[in-house]
Amino acid sequence: MLFNSLSFIVFLLLVLALYYLKIFNWTSKKRMLLIASYVFYGLWNPPLVILLWISTVVDWTAGNKLAVEENSRKRKLWLLLSLFVNLGFLAFFKYGNFLLDNFTVAIHAIGINFEPQPMDIILPMGISFYTFQTMSYTIDMYHKKIKPARTFLDFALYVTFFPQLVAGPIVRAQDLISQFYEEKKATVNQFIWGVFLLTIGLFQKVVLADTLLADTSDTVFGSKEILHGLDAWTGTLAFSGQIFFDFAGYSTCAIGIALMLGINLPDNFRYPYASIGFSDLWKRWHISLSSWLRDYLYIPLGGNKNGITRMYAALMITMLLGGLWHGAAWTFVIWGALHGLYLIIERLLRTRIHIKINSFNGVLLAILTYTLVNFTWVFFRAREFSTAKNMINSMFFMNTDGIKILQSFEIIKVFILISLLFICHWFMRNTSMKTVSQKISPILLGIVWAMMLFLIAISQGSGEQFIYFQF
Amino acid sequence: MHLKQSLIIAIAFSFLGLASWELFWRSEGKMPDLDDDKNLWAVQRAKVNKLTKSDVLLMGSSRVLFDIQLNEWESETGVRPIQLASAGASPLPIFHDIVNNTDFNGTVIVGVTPGLFFSTTYPGAGPWKRAQSRVEYYQNRTYAQRLNHWLSLPLQKNLALVSTTEEGWSDDIDLKSLLGTIQLENRLEKPIFPPFYNFGDIDQDRNMQMTQKTVNDTAFANTVKLVWKTIVTSNDQPPEREATTSFFADDAKKFKAKDGNLILVYCPASGLFKEGETKFFKTSEFWDKLILQTGKKGYHYEDYEQLKNLDCPEWSHLSAKDAKYFTTELIKIMKIDGALSHSKTN
Repeated sequence: MLFNSLSFIVFLLLVLALYYLKIFNWTSKKRMLLIASYVFYGLWNPPLVILLWISTVVDWTAGNKLAVEENSRKRKLWLLLSLFVNLGFLAFFKYGNFLLDNFTVAIHAIGINFEPQPMDIILPMGISFYTFQTMSYTIDMYHKKIKPARTFLDFALYVTFFPQLVAGPIVRAQDLISQFYEEKKATVNQFIWGVFLLTIGLFQKVVLADTLLADTSDTVFGSKEILHGLDAWTGTLAFSGQIFFDFAGYSTCAIGIALMLGINLPDNFRYPYASIGFSDLWKRWHISLSSWLRDYLYIPLGGNKNGITRMYAALMITMLLGGLWHGAAWTFVIWGALHGLYLIIERLLRTRIHIKINSFNGVLLAILTYTLVNFTWVFFRAREFSTAKNMINSMFFMNTDGIKILQSFEIIKVFILISLLFICHWFMRNTSMKTVSQKISPILLGIVWAMMLFLIAISQGSGEQFIYFQF
Repeated sequence: MHLKQSLIIAIAFSFLGLASWELFWRSEGKMPDLDDDKNLWAVQRAKVNKLTKSDVLLMGSSRVLFDIQLNEWESETGVRPIQLASAGASPLPIFHDIVNNTDFNGTVIVGVTPGLFFSTTYPGAGPWKRAQSRVEYYQNRTYAQRLNHWLSLPLQKNLALVSTTEEGWSDDIDLKSLLGTIQLENRLEKPIFPPFYNFGDIDQDRNMQMTQKTVNDTAFANTVKLVWKTIVTSNDQPPEREATTSFFADDAKKFKAKDGNLILVYCPASGLFKEGETKFFKTSEFWDKLILQTGKKGYHYEDYEQLKNLDCPEWSHLSAKDAKYFTTELIKIMKIDGALSHSKTN
């Protein structure tokens, strides 16, 4: 089920009604939320709910065993079981065909003629999100960082909580499960703020991403021609805006919906396009994933405690796997590699050049960071390396006789929107939406809110899926 | 924070804004209507699984959609056909789906619009893709998508402001379409495609009728003619007569083996289309060979006195009044011929 759909409006109203009617006690409300979450997921593809159940049962069992088991070998086996099941699902459903393709290429390279049938595998929506979330529970249990969930219901709801089930934020057990222990009820202000966040999220998705940017990006990246530099840049900038509004929009909706139930979810984006450098970017973009990769991959790989070379290697491996997390294709690996490279270069430069950031050089560095980010988006969006290569060449204005495929209005629209996006991120980078909302008059806030609602309604989103559902 | 105040203002202003928007578009002549989208098609396709031998399926391109009227068909035969025709599409993928993925063995009427029927069997080509994408949507649609469609129907029927379309007509009023009408300097080295306005109204079981505006307003009908002219003159793909005929004939054979009743219909055309079809899709070369190869009954409008002089206001489809007449007369001809042998009345 999509947040930007009529069925979700009905679903949410029903859930809220059942949640706030005084007919259930807290345990029954949690049961209702759990069933609602399975319905939310199952309305897309009912049989795939079984994967959620398997993950839940395996990790619940492993967590309980890890809580009492003292034998280190057995503890390791329980952890491995959890990792094997979760990563096994990912490997099969998400990377099955990719692995098979690469195996075929490798076999061909040594002269063996082997042509396997491609596997007809459905990618379960949001599998990367919920497997990472449940794995964090067993890993933390293994390291004795957290206590086991008090009841199976609390744990199952943690795995399946519908607002963040299919596209995050990826929430840690200690941040979410403990919220299920006591009865939760949003205050009036929390509830209204939740509705406001839901509106902002839908506005980002329906109006900004789908209505104003998606077509331009699709036209440019769908073109087989070698493009004019301006068209290539417009398409890339449009995609940078589209993916931010699409994903940040989903996260904002998720946070808002959870807040309407009195549950707090962490921020997932903090105005990333005004980042000064790539370390800053990864503290602002998809925060729940980057912190997961830091805690469960980068630090276990040694982090920055084993010398510079090991640190850079750990950084690069983390970013390469982070790239692969997004999709089963080498273009995503290159995307990750570029980010790894940027991070390494930044760290090298920081040891040699010391710049005191002020608003003037800050904005220039933010523009430089954003420009470099755009080159990485080319690999993220392009389905083939040839497309990415042509786009990069065009963006360096090397294809001087490239084809023009965008009309003037589309180019102006994208440049205005992306400029506003950047300016907005720059002015908001050290503050929050809540702080700004508290400072402006409630009438102005109401008018802005009304405009967003109006634009969402007249945009008539087709209800197509969020980009990150495929990850 | 005075969030309650902000919320009340937001609800009041957005309601006022949307009410004004609705009234404005109604004053401009835009009325609530249904979108002939993949959901509407999939609902009809889903009905096929429950049909009996006496039932009738219609498929083809927009000519079958406009020219065969379901009410008239029902009153003449006692059977309400299922309308599976798809505008701008080849009927081959849809017939292929029915023959290969269902047990249906009643009557199938396939409309032959030569420019589309004989266009291609290449999966990536427009006429094929348009039809195949609907088949695939039907096969893959989720319960959430079904629910969304079901919930959207009352809104589509009652609010003009939700009147947007999958086709992307130039008179759609969603934000994206409105922004799409803004034209600044033409950067591209090719002419701009002329505006293409919606010229038909469809109901829930996909009975389509040409709008009165298209019939009465010559200037409006001319905008549609200009689009046809642009499409026809810019099409440099030669027809694939042998491939399409052979593909269809294979499915026709399978359908016959199931004891299905297949009937081919060539609906009326006028003006540029009539001239073009006469010149580039000679009856003896295309239609006659198709009938011969499939061994099925075929009805070409030009073969019947009562049908040959019907006029299409925009060259390709009949007005609602003429479509009713065409349907009634066609059934009479078919009955005399014994073509509707599976139908209840026979």
